[in-house]
Amino acid sequence: MERLTNSLRVRLTSVVLVIHAALVPLLYLGVSAIVEDGYAELFVNPLRSNSRLIADELEAADAQEFPRYAGALLDSVVLSGQVVFAEITDGAQTLHSSLSSVSPGRARGDDFEFADHGDQVYYISHRVKRGTRWVVLRLGFDEGPTLERIAAAKRRVLAAVLAFTAASIAVAIWLSAVIARPMVRLQEAAKRVAGGDVHTELQMHSSIREVRELNHHLERMRQELVGTNDRLESEIRGREASEQKRLDLERRLLHRERIASIGTLAGGVAHEFNNILTPILLYSQIALDDTAPDGALARDLTRIVAAAHRARSLVNRILTFSREMHSQEPAVFSLRPTVEEALALMRAIVPANIEVDFDASEDGTAVQGDPSLVHQVVINLCTNAYQAMRRTGGRLSVKLRGIDNPGDGQINPGSYALLEVGDTGHGMEQAVILHIFEPFFTTRDVGEGTGLGLSVVHGIVTSMGGSITVESAVGQGTTFRVYLPAAAAQVCERSGALG
Amino acid sequence: MRRALLLTLLLVLCTQGVAGTQAVVLVVPADSNVVDLEPVTVRKLFLGLPVLVNGVPLHPFRNRSDAQLDPIFLQQIVAMSQSAYDRQILIGVNRQGWLRPVELTTRARVLATLYSDPNAVTFMWLRDVERNPKVRVIRVLWSD
Repeated sequence: MERLTNSLRVRLTSVVLVIHAALVPLLYLGVSAIVEDGYAELFVNPLRSNSRLIADELEAADAQEFPRYAGALLDSVVLSGQVVFAEITDGAQTLHSSLSSVSPGRARGDDFEFADHGDQVYYISHRVKRGTRWVVLRLGFDEGPTLERIAAAKRRVLAAVLAFTAASIAVAIWLSAVIARPMVRLQEAAKRVAGGDVHTELQMHSSIREVRELNHHLERMRQELVGTNDRLESEIRGREASEQKRLDLERRLLHRERIASIGTLAGGVAHEFNNILTPILLYSQIALDDTAPDGALARDLTRIVAAAHRARSLVNRILTFSREMHSQEPAVFSLRPTVEEALALMRAIVPANIEVDFDASEDGTAVQGDPSLVHQVVINLCTNAYQAMRRTGGRLSVKLRGIDNPGDGQINPGSYALLEVGDTGHGMEQAVILHIFEPFFTTRDVGEGTGLGLSVVHGIVTSMGGSITVESAVGQGTTFRVYLPAAAAQVCERSGALG
Repeated sequence: MRRALLLTLLLVLCTQGVAGTQAVVLVVPADSNVVDLEPVTVRKLFLGLPVLVNGVPLHPFRNRSDAQLDPIFLQQIVAMSQSAYDRQILIGVNRQGWLRPVELTTRARVLATLYSDPNAVTFMWLRDVERNPKVRVIRVLWSD
């Protein structure tokens, strides 16, 4: 109920009704008073003059003829139509018109206001001088027709006022609806905006200037709010992306530090182990040279030398991972021949159920480094790929191309040669991905791998100033991306550093 | 106590008797030359028309010291309504150059005017002038 009474339409209509309830009776009473006064004026004014004229006529009449003349005058006055009573009296005698419709006994004193006494007769008395004595002329005028005209006029006024009131109320209801309609639309639009639909335009088509200006200002406010909201959302998204990037960098830094510490530890162990291997290998070889070739001792020494070589190879791989390997002098070379050579070797190794694709472009694929190390990178990655597809078969795809400013947030901006090695094998879980570059981490059975392949790849790529990323999903395959700095870019960076 | 009640009753009866015989009369100063004025002449006088008696213009004064005199004046003297009288006066003053009758709003001023102007003519309640030797009644205009 309160909601209904507080609505704009009901308020406006109520105000109009209250105003009409207060003013319409006043209007009716005012107009009625004007009508009454007008008719009273029209009634009283002529009869006062007429009665005065009759009195003057009597006063001027001849004394001899007075009785007969007075009777005839009274009758003629009554016959004029408006006079209903006429008499002349001197206190002792009374001359009364026989045509009067009011009996003499009911006549009374003067009326000075229209409709006095309520008997519908307006009495006027005039003192008339007849010689030395005074007589009184008393006339009664019929107020009935004038009262009827007044009543009819008041009825017309009442009808007009009621019609005016009805029309005004109808107009008020219509006008309140017209005024309230834009407000209702605005309210609905504001509700939608408040409900989150901030892109709803506030449109109020109204001929009322104030309503149009209100709509204009509210629309501007909405647009500013929408702009502010968009800016805030954009800022929030930016901050979330920055936070995610920071977390990624932090994770990568932790991973890199862990790999580096493991590499340092492994490098130290390998270095010491190499020092131990050197005399074993040296003296085993000397002993083998001093021993007869066909004896049992020579066979044993040969096995010792072979084992020592395998150990040295293992140590070299560990040193490679820890960047302590001794490579050739860095040279600028194109990756494509090296990759093709490694793939030719892999095609000979991989089973027939694995298809090998190679897609390469020459542009931007020149890098600076040791081609044999890149050869080992390709071999290690392809070996892992085909082993992941060994049982099910699949596709081993190798792509080589130049790339500028990779969109990946893990890689610094610059020009790179991108080597992509992908397979359609069983893929890896996230927990496995976190440890694949650690030395001696393997998911294969005992005896099938040393767990040094990817750690060696990581060491080689890092030593060349590049980066390696992995993307894998269980059951869908794995893709390694190796970013090696393009040779031209390296030259430029060095020139800048020297400058 | 009984005497006081009797006196009060007598006073009330006397007052009613006076009220029952009240009349409005046309008066002039006692030393005025005017003997009588016909109703038509009185009407002319108070409508602003010049009225001369023995070659001397009369000076009409409308007595408005009592509101009850107004309807009697309008009905018995000028024989028209107030608005018609106002229109008539305006027409006479503006078109004909007649003089508007001076209106006096207190009985004291009415009497003072009568005492000072021998050509003054006005109307009063009879009870106000019947014992006044300086004022003379020349016509009864209305009586109840």
